[in-house]
Amino acid sequence: MSDMKKSVLTSVRIIAGAAAILLGFQARQRVDLGAIVASNSNVPFSGLVASQSNDVNVPAGDYFYELSQKLKEEYVEPVTDDQKLASGAIRGMIASLDDPDSIFMSKDEFAAYLNARIGKYEGIGADLELVRNGKSGSSDSGSSEADSDMTPEDAMVTVKEIPHLQVMSVVPGGPADKAGVKVGDVVRYVDDHWVVDSGLINKFRIALRKVNNKQMPATELNAMRAEIRSKSEHALLPARAKDKLFLGKSGTVNVVWSRNGKEITTKIERSTCEMPGFSVDGDRILLPMVEGDGGRLANAVKGKSEVTIDLRNSTLGNPQVMRDCLSAVAKPGNYGYFTTKRHDSPTPLEISVGNAHPPKIQLIVDKSTRGPAEVFALALASKGLVRVSDSEMGGDVESQQIVKLPDGSGYTLATSAYQATVSRKALNGAKGTVALQEVRK
Amino acid sequence: MKLVTAIIGFLAMVLGCFVFGFAWPDIQKGQLPSTSAISNLFGVKSGAAATPELEFTHAYSKVLAEYIKPVDSTTLKYAGMEGLMSSLGDPHTMFMPPKASEAFNDETKANFGGIGARLGQDPLGARLSDVFDGGPAKENGLKGGDIITAVDGKQVGGMDIDDVVTMIKGKEGTIVKLTWMEPGKHEPITKAIKRARIIAPTVESKYFPDYKVGYISVASFSEPTADQFGTEIDKLEQHPLKGLVIDLRENPGGLLQSACDMLGYFVEDKLVVRMKFRDGKEEIAKSPSGFLHNFNYPILVLINEDSASAAEIFSGCLRDFGKAKLVGEHSYGKSSVQNVFPLVDQSSAKITIAKYYLPLTPYYGRKLDQDGGFISGGLEPDVKVDLDPNATIDPDNPKTDAQLWRAIEMLNPQAATTATTASAGH
Repeated sequence: MSDMKKSVLTSVRIIAGAAAILLGFQARQRVDLGAIVASNSNVPFSGLVASQSNDVNVPAGDYFYELSQKLKEEYVEPVTDDQKLASGAIRGMIASLDDPDSIFMSKDEFAAYLNARIGKYEGIGADLELVRNGKSGSSDSGSSEADSDMTPEDAMVTVKEIPHLQVMSVVPGGPADKAGVKVGDVVRYVDDHWVVDSGLINKFRIALRKVNNKQMPATELNAMRAEIRSKSEHALLPARAKDKLFLGKSGTVNVVWSRNGKEITTKIERSTCEMPGFSVDGDRILLPMVEGDGGRLANAVKGKSEVTIDLRNSTLGNPQVMRDCLSAVAKPGNYGYFTTKRHDSPTPLEISVGNAHPPKIQLIVDKSTRGPAEVFALALASKGLVRVSDSEMGGDVESQQIVKLPDGSGYTLATSAYQATVSRKALNGAKGTVALQEVRK
Repeated sequence: MKLVTAIIGFLAMVLGCFVFGFAWPDIQKGQLPSTSAISNLFGVKSGAAATPELEFTHAYSKVLAEYIKPVDSTTLKYAGMEGLMSSLGDPHTMFMPPKASEAFNDETKANFGGIGARLGQDPLGARLSDVFDGGPAKENGLKGGDIITAVDGKQVGGMDIDDVVTMIKGKEGTIVKLTWMEPGKHEPITKAIKRARIIAPTVESKYFPDYKVGYISVASFSEPTADQFGTEIDKLEQHPLKGLVIDLRENPGGLLQSACDMLGYFVEDKLVVRMKFRDGKEEIAKSPSGFLHNFNYPILVLINEDSASAAEIFSGCLRDFGKAKLVGEHSYGKSSVQNVFPLVDQSSAKITIAKYYLPLTPYYGRKLDQDGGFISGGLEPDVKVDLDPNATIDPDNPKTDAQLWRAIEMLNPQAATTATTASAGH
């Protein structure tokens, strides 16, 4: 081979090699950023890359990947924790649902939540939930400062409602119980921090409109303005207030509650405590509806002709256990439906095996009967199979999925709501709450 | 045969080079190429459920398919991207969906007319903190301390101040209907006001002869600010001075160059700020030479939580060089540079790309908790003075402004006695 030929070949190799490096690098850039970063869009490699740069509707997964890459490339500090990015993105999505039943929880929050679901509490020893007026929980909580005689015009100026934090159940003998906290109490202050209440803000905005329309002197407004200002200096969002009460095994927390329009001040020592588990006392059964209670209930009712089941203080029951419990005390058949607001058909609540010879059942319920326990009561009552104590239940019949993420955080997602075969209205239920009378004497 | 080997060798070399180029970003970071990138190259999604990307996609599909109510997929995707970018805990790194990006662009272009006033947050609406001479607001009788409660008939109480400002701004020559209340009066006033092009004055000075104290307020750092500052100093120095107050409260910053130029009056050819980038690259800014001024009196700088960016560089450097003490409340804590990256679907990603460091002050970037609550950040004042939010400030009476008054008292200890005598005289 002549020297000439050799040098030509060498240079061809070098050029080809360099071109390949460049193309490889470009391909990577297209892959990493191609779809979302708006730059020169006429790329030679558009056939190779996964996402087309001209496609404006970038699929969510690609969007996530490419934005993560962009952050890793540009952000002033190294971004190494992909898991944190994913959890952050999921937090953002769940938060955008703006639903007190669909909540993202950090690692600590989620761990405490899972423990509470098996009866092991920390913090003040109470189940607290974010509640929106009219959505769940009772409406006469005395928590809302919003005018009940709100006109449609007033409704126009009100802000989106911030849920308030309400006690759903209290662990008997636990710190909150000792301090006199009751189911239905609403948190107003935690350690001198005002728990943000959209009611007050709305009241203010309505007053403001009246002043602007010259229906009210401005002086009244100034007092309210000063109140909001001083309160917001040390404000706490309800979700954060929940952490201070639901988490922690030591330390004192000062809480001001609202109960029937009155303010009650308590000083509570955080500690661990346990909700009483499944127990049988003669014909009386305490059913918290946690893991394993289905089998226990089946055993407990064996050979009994009449039992009383106590469903109080059951707010975080397990939906699967609820089905097992239903099987233990009811004949096979349909017990209502889970419905959604999407265009899909309701999912029936079916019992396939069941108990061919169920005992006569009396249920004791109150406001601390929520979630699966409430569905259980409604399912049996709708069939006229049980006598139910004459009190209102929690009004929470939504079914949730619980999802755990690899970093220990997790979220709940409301997926459906229970509806008995008979409409709830026929069961003497008011909007949002269900008042059950004795169905069968 | 030899030819075949040569061709295979050649192809292998080319492929090797391609792979090298493809993996270069990872090689730079000292890691193996991410599997996700490789599968994307071939248009394949990896089946492993463990990658964060898939975890995200899984949650995304779950919400779309199983949430009790139907959810708009684009809204959900953007909510996820907002969460992704805010997970870094940096309030300045954020995802802006199409609508927000548009507003941001309009704002930065700033070819807008206004009413010629500076507004501050108030529960009632927007409080006028400053009314510019010759502007439409002043001509229509609006005064500092008045509170705008409605814009074009829409209530603005409880709204974010930025949204109120956006509503008030508009094309030059158009009309905006404002409703406002004067402190102490019961009846609101409503007037239609014509928007005009506003050039906000950045430097204003005042001399308080009773206390022999000069006062300069710097509203923001724009091109003429340093020159204007020099002019105002010369004006003030025609009076006997016991001290000078530089008011940087509500100053959101502006041009870094302008802050450096202003520092040139105080220190010559000194490093004032160091910008550190991701890759370890650094850029520095120095104060210029040849402008040094002899301030033979003490200087105090007023700051508050709305003093940010260039205002923090200026006040922080003055303190670091021992030229002034800071009075008021902690500043905002904006000590980083952002770049806005436009994305193909009209959204954009605003990302912090560098941080500033002052000569002595440790890093003071603002930190927020998950709910946006303030944790730390900003320059701490040497003398902390809170302002009563309900007090009405009369610009001609420094005693109504607790922070300014404290500064005056510090510069002229006799001021307090003067004040007592003055009030006793009434």
